Amino acid sequence: MIVTDVFSLGVALMIPMLWAAYGETLMEKAGVLNVGIEGVMLVGAFSAALGVSYGGGIYAGLGFAIVAGLISGAVLALLYVRLGTDQIVTGIMFNIFAFGLTTTLAVEYVTATRVTSFPQFEIPGLAEIPFFGDVFFSHNVLVYAAFLAAPLVFYVLHRTWYGLYARASSEYPRAAEAAGLDVWRLRYAAVVAGCVMTSIGGVALFSSSGGFVSGLTDGRGFIALAIVILARWNPYWIVAASLLFGVSEALQFQADRLGPLGDVPPDLLVMIPYVVTILAVVLARASRYPPAVGVPYRPSSKAS
Amino acid sequence: MATPREAVHPAPGSPPGVPPAASLRGRSSPLVRLLIALAATVAIFSALIAALGVNPVDAFNAFWDGSVGSKFSLGQTVMIASLLACTGLAAAIPFQAHLWNVGGEGQLWAGAVAAVALALELPDGLPDWLAITITVLGACLAGALWGFIPGILKATVNANEVITCLMLVFIGIALGNYAISTLFPSQSNQTESVPFERLLPNIWEGTLVTAGALLALGAVLIAIVLMTGTSLGFQIRAVGLNRNTARISGMRTGRVIVLAMVIGGAFGGLAGAIAVLGINGAVVAGFSANFGFLGIAVALVARLKPLWIVPSALLFAALRTGSSGLQAQTGISATVGEILVTVLVIMLLAVGVIRLRYAEAAQ
Repeated sequence: MIVTDVFSLGVALMIPMLWAAYGETLMEKAGVLNVGIEGVMLVGAFSAALGVSYGGGIYAGLGFAIVAGLISGAVLALLYVRLGTDQIVTGIMFNIFAFGLTTTLAVEYVTATRVTSFPQFEIPGLAEIPFFGDVFFSHNVLVYAAFLAAPLVFYVLHRTWYGLYARASSEYPRAAEAAGLDVWRLRYAAVVAGCVMTSIGGVALFSSSGGFVSGLTDGRGFIALAIVILARWNPYWIVAASLLFGVSEALQFQADRLGPLGDVPPDLLVMIPYVVTILAVVLARASRYPPAVGVPYRPSSKAS
Repeated sequence: MATPREAVHPAPGSPPGVPPAASLRGRSSPLVRLLIALAATVAIFSALIAALGVNPVDAFNAFWDGSVGSKFSLGQTVMIASLLACTGLAAAIPFQAHLWNVGGEGQLWAGAVAAVALALELPDGLPDWLAITITVLGACLAGALWGFIPGILKATVNANEVITCLMLVFIGIALGNYAISTLFPSQSNQTESVPFERLLPNIWEGTLVTAGALLALGAVLIAIVLMTGTSLGFQIRAVGLNRNTARISGMRTGRVIVLAMVIGGAFGGLAGAIAVLGINGAVVAGFSANFGFLGIAVALVARLKPLWIVPSALLFAALRTGSSGLQAQTGISATVGEILVTVLVIMLLAVGVIRLRYAEAAQ
């Protein structure tokens, strides 16, 4: 069934963007815009490759990537929050830095030629359901974890004190500070946690690609930026929006079975997700960033 | 989204959210901070090079040879600087209008594809000078189109230009790959080569410096005149300072936004023309070593001033060609150049030598 195949592949392909979009949501809801999302993903994917080469398997890769996410998060938190550098420029520079670093090191250190994907795990019972069984319940553990993370992210942002305070610091940090909150610490936590989730997205990408190549992410982090806007920072809508992009990416791999799409040259089919992203940003025109997103904050108590 | 604008010092009573003069940045003089940034960059880069098994002193020598150590390598640096000056302008002019044109890379690719298509397809009867002129203008037009799309989407539906620009980067690269694989295929991993007489002529014997360098200088001059001597330049700066004030004082801000992006895109497209007609003679797969993105660094170090783009572009070009020298002599990947450049820029940002000020809070 062609439709089943496209959607099943689409679900597999949406996962890297889904993790990255969760991470970006956490950060933006605390007032930090991470344009460096692409670089964090790339570092995550590269760390997973290192884990497979030296740590013995994909689960070691996941561990490496989480550590790499913590490090990326610490560096970016220092820049975005503590030093208050411009977030768009810093993010773009971090992306190129990550590209240069991973490409340079991959030449020297990535040796893995073994199987590098997470094993498939069919959920007993549910996998038997026609269509939905194949599309949603015949994947690897990172896919299921990604779906389960949606309520978790929602809960953290909307049902805990941390979420309330973080959102306050993305809406009006000066008032948050006046109410006794430490805006910097709230943002540090968000940046580090967000980078870990983004880095896990890199692992998912590495796993589904079966190997690391230079510039592996190819704009998927940037697409996650658009997903977050389109879904208006709501984790459940983020799942839906990610599926849209996963499927639009899957189309190019199944194009030869899709009638007229099969006649389009592959180099042009590659453009589909990017064009869909531009359309999504246009459609999301009523969606507004929280007011303090992207604006560095200097607490009055720490004025120099 | 917030406003980029080169800053001197925060004005008294600046609004909440004006970026910090954290202790490191506020107290010491700019020169001291610059030296700190340079020292930190050299330290980080040397450590990385050493970790890759290269003696940093050898690396420095290789770097010197590759960038300015000989007449030939100096010529290479000049040509890369020509590209970077154009992509620097592509970033600087929209930045002055408070628009994040981070799509210079896509505009470069679009310009390159247009250049190779025109150079190969224009009728044989045309005089060479005319063919070259049309090719260069066509490349600028293609880049302008790549800037027009984010510009018009920003002006009409307020679409986030960071995302639209970045998506057009990948579309531009895909277009380049399409030109290589399908439109003008050749034996190797590039398009058909442009005939010799339709390339930009060499202007410095013993090097590969072509008239592309003069085109880049011309672009800088045009940008200086535009920004300092025309009403459009004034409007671009006014919109960048405060869009609402500009609108209330009667400027058609939507039109200014689109024009700023179109002009920036045209400079990016010109970089593509220089790459094809002045350097490579074809669209080569992966020819751009992030030159479009590095243009952002060039623009920032030049404080968005067109004149300062020239030394800034030469600096970054030397770092780039030096890295190629490093690759040639030590075998490590030339992408260390990206590491060096970005560490430098991030350090300059961190110590506050490069500062962008937000005139208004997010809209």
